[in-house]
Amino acid sequence: MRETLRSAGWVLATLVVLLGLEFGLQALVPDSSIRQLLMLAAIYVMVSVSLNVINGMAGQFSIGHAGFVGIGAYTSAIVASHLHASSTLSPGPDGASFAHSWLLVPLSVGAGAVVASMFGLLVGLPSLRLRGDYLAIVTLGFAEIFRLLIASAQVDATAGLSHAVASLGGQNGYAGADNQGVPLFAGPFWVFGAAILMTFATWRIKFSGWGRALRALREDEIAAASVGVDPTRYKVISFVLAAFGAGIAGGLWATMRDGLGLVQPDQFNFQFSFDAITMVILGGSGSVTGAVLGALFVTFTVKLIELVQGVEAVKALQHANPWLDLNALRMVIYAAVLIALMILRPEGLLGERELLGPRREVAS
Amino acid sequence: MSQLDLSDVNKSFGGIKAVIRVSFRVPSGSIFGLIGPNGAGKTTVFNLVTGVYRADEGSIRLDGVDIVAKKPAQIAAAGVARTFQNIRLFSQMSVIDNVLVACETKRRSGLEGALLRSASFLDEEKMLRAKALELLDVFELGRLANEPSTSLSYGDQRRLEIARAMMLGPKLLLLDEPAAGMNYAEAEGLKKQIRWLRERFDLTVVLVEHNMQVVMSVCEEIHVLDHGETIAHGRPDEIRQHPKVLAAYLGESA
Repeated sequence: MRETLRSAGWVLATLVVLLGLEFGLQALVPDSSIRQLLMLAAIYVMVSVSLNVINGMAGQFSIGHAGFVGIGAYTSAIVASHLHASSTLSPGPDGASFAHSWLLVPLSVGAGAVVASMFGLLVGLPSLRLRGDYLAIVTLGFAEIFRLLIASAQVDATAGLSHAVASLGGQNGYAGADNQGVPLFAGPFWVFGAAILMTFATWRIKFSGWGRALRALREDEIAAASVGVDPTRYKVISFVLAAFGAGIAGGLWATMRDGLGLVQPDQFNFQFSFDAITMVILGGSGSVTGAVLGALFVTFTVKLIELVQGVEAVKALQHANPWLDLNALRMVIYAAVLIALMILRPEGLLGERELLGPRREVAS
Repeated sequence: MSQLDLSDVNKSFGGIKAVIRVSFRVPSGSIFGLIGPNGAGKTTVFNLVTGVYRADEGSIRLDGVDIVAKKPAQIAAAGVARTFQNIRLFSQMSVIDNVLVACETKRRSGLEGALLRSASFLDEEKMLRAKALELLDVFELGRLANEPSTSLSYGDQRRLEIARAMMLGPKLLLLDEPAAGMNYAEAEGLKKQIRWLRERFDLTVVLVEHNMQVVMSVCEEIHVLDHGETIAHGRPDEIRQHPKVLAAYLGESA
């Protein structure tokens, strides 16, 4: 009973904070680019935490997570812009109200998650037969096919599948059905709320019999199967769950307040998948809180370098030395951090442990 | 208790015939020995029964149901548990977690239960944990429940593997060289445990073992393989004097 009251208290407190952010973030953080960065950090947390289910917990090496995020983003953007256009659901001239977002966000982001998880099933199925690097190639291939299919669409196509693909805007990106921008009604409440909920959900999965079975499977597939853990089932469901989470992340990315209102194929290139893997490995494969830390680290390091690029002194320095390309240097810093980490802490920041909470499974 | 029937089972790996027309019946509730010199095909038979390999020909029946086409996890769920010749524990996991992995087939609450931490999920988890501890106590591992499994001694690791197999709630238990690396006292203890397990859990036990002292004293029936072929079958006292068995183990002149 006391336990129940305490959890209810936590839920209530979280809701209050989220509502506060929903209405107060604008006043709290006047700079919209910083707001955007904070929301983006939450999106990255979702990307990282969901990838951790497949790469960390299930031990399958997927390097095509961007594909699932992208499918979620496009699906949500399409659904959102059509819902927005329909007169009954139109939030009116002054943008989306919070009440409206309760209808629009679950529908559009939910659609993105469902479609992404269907593709997760599609990509998860070969994972039964393929291992290690072969599976990695399949996931990479999937993500690149998705991206290139949209990017290389013939804009002048008039009918059929190519017309449908071309309506997504090709390389220029999708800006809603009417080309007026994707409606941005997912406020901080939704974005931060989803990140917290997803972190919490994967935490619970990890510390359940299900997570235990995944761990066993990763350590010794033959032994795990010999006690009834069906590798097929667990791996495919992991893929579907990870894709579902990625779809939510993508959907919120496409429709988040202070976002661009534009979904472009290049957001979901290999670089993005690579960033996601970096987050997971940096934090510690299999650790939920590690995935969160990794995501925050990657988001803010990248942006920090971008901010540094804007500083006058650095600009001058760059002007004097044209070879000093900080965007390229970003990768060098990444690599340096990763190499240092792999030497000092081969298991990532946290290894498989968690920052706080139970060392073991459900406390009995 | 389950009855296991193999009839005319063949298995080759490339040009090597590992198992050639092997047929035998393990009577329900018996302790059955499967012996033979190194490379006789004993472990291959275990791998065929548990679905790790698929038999080229022949049938393997568990209580009359053919399991040749089934996958390892399905066969495990049908009540066949095993241990491994070269111990395969989940080395990064604690002792009790190793055992708990084996209860996933029995678990009724699904992922949604774990997500919501429903009362039924928590009750079930508690119940399974208690059952795992009980099993660990049987193998005198209860006090080590929260230790990493790698920290266990060799004999304890072998016993933990049996405990893990038993958590599955099997009707047929396949033990692959459980006495390997055990000293005399441990092997004596193992003999008692195998008999006790059979009585306590209504098991059928198949034992692959090189320790003849263990095999001869606990098995009621013994099947002998050599180079993948059956060379003898009978009670321990018959096997002990069987000329072909003596020849296989000691050389032709015997």
